[in-house]
Amino acid sequence: MPTSILGPYTRTIIAAALVVVTIVFCLTIRIPVHTSIEPLFDWMTASWFGYIGTTWGAAFAVVEAFHLVGLAFIGGTVVASDGRLLGLILTDQPPRAIIDKTYRIFNWALILTLSTGIFMACGVAGKIYFLKVFWYKMLTLCAGMLFEYGIRRPLLEKELEDINPWVLKLTAVASVMVWFTVAALGRWIGYSG
Amino acid sequence: MNQVIYNFAVWLDGFEWSTAMHESYYMYNWVESTHVLTLMVSLGVLFLIDLRMLGIAFPNVPSTQIARRLNLPMWIGFGVAITTGLLLFYAIPVRNSQSLWFRVKLVLLVCAGINAYLLHKRMNESGSSWENDAVAPKQIRTSAAVSLGLWTTIVICGRFIAYDWFDCELGQSAFISFVAGCVDGQTQF
Amino acid sequence: MNEENKTEAKLDDIQIAAIVSSSVFVVWFVVYWFFQIQAVRELFEFVRVNNF
Repeated sequence: MPTSILGPYTRTIIAAALVVVTIVFCLTIRIPVHTSIEPLFDWMTASWFGYIGTTWGAAFAVVEAFHLVGLAFIGGTVVASDGRLLGLILTDQPPRAIIDKTYRIFNWALILTLSTGIFMACGVAGKIYFLKVFWYKMLTLCAGMLFEYGIRRPLLEKELEDINPWVLKLTAVASVMVWFTVAALGRWIGYSG
Repeated sequence: MNQVIYNFAVWLDGFEWSTAMHESYYMYNWVESTHVLTLMVSLGVLFLIDLRMLGIAFPNVPSTQIARRLNLPMWIGFGVAITTGLLLFYAIPVRNSQSLWFRVKLVLLVCAGINAYLLHKRMNESGSSWENDAVAPKQIRTSAAVSLGLWTTIVICGRFIAYDWFDCELGQSAFISFVAGCVDGQTQF
Repeated sequence: MNEENKTEAKLDDIQIAAIVSSSVFVVWFVVYWFFQIQAVRELFEFVRVNNF
């Protein structure tokens, strides 16, 4: 197996670096970064999605409901697979069967949630750009996806017997926490502004 | 009937805690967030059970086992959803009781309950002969598909409650006024 | 397999990365929900101020 330029602990170094960069980014002034992407939000408002979202309330509400349905699917897969890893539910079933099957449903649910989320973001682009909670949600969502596809998934591809059980449990707890926080932050966007 | 529901709602509205919850920015939003977040547990798990019956998820896991093992988290989720739902109604009783979408949602919830009862009845009656099959028998598949459709519609109706399209004070047609429960000469809320 | 290799097999790159990132998420979650729970405090404060 070829060795990475960062040595045998490449993934650990990248994960730690991302955490440090994110914390520094959150704690420092980032107005120039923020204002540089304002045209993107103007474009989103002017797009067809933005036009439909702002002028047709019922369409926006239906898409929002499907966003929630996607979220429900994400929640169900997280509860089933992480609950199994934690030894709380479906304990009489092999964890591999549960983890692998929930994986595909999670992917589809995430696609549904992201696509409906983009539509909704276009409809309220002028509002969310100024909302701190929106940026926290995006940050948590990106962190959640990086965690899911960069850490949790590759970890669970290994033989489960070879993984320290405490690492499995900690990963499961973090997975539940991150997706529920993403959902809670999303709900809070509706109350802000 | 509508007058009785209205009187009940006005009586609920008179409670100080109802006003306090409605006026409290954080508390009301917190309860509503919890109501929506429990979707991720209750509906999420229910959808997984439905998908198993339809043969889309966990085809290798016996279907009755999936249904039984996931029952507990699903009911915990529904328990929280019902509690927070009642609190949300208590916070804004008059408007909610006169919301067309809230009423449709309640009817659909009853339908979903009957459908769930029928699904369990069929599951128990049909024994365990099919539980290792990837796809459940037709009657159970139908119930699972109906459950998916009903709950998606319930979520849509729940979302629509926030909109004022059919609010009484906007002056609705006689039919909508009757279905929404608008009462002549009522106080504005 | 010597002792050092055994330790390596127990906690490899992906497992350490999982520990690092998961710990950060747990801390972030606790901080976030701590502020959310302030809602309950705010309600009681509201009730007290208004002499309900």
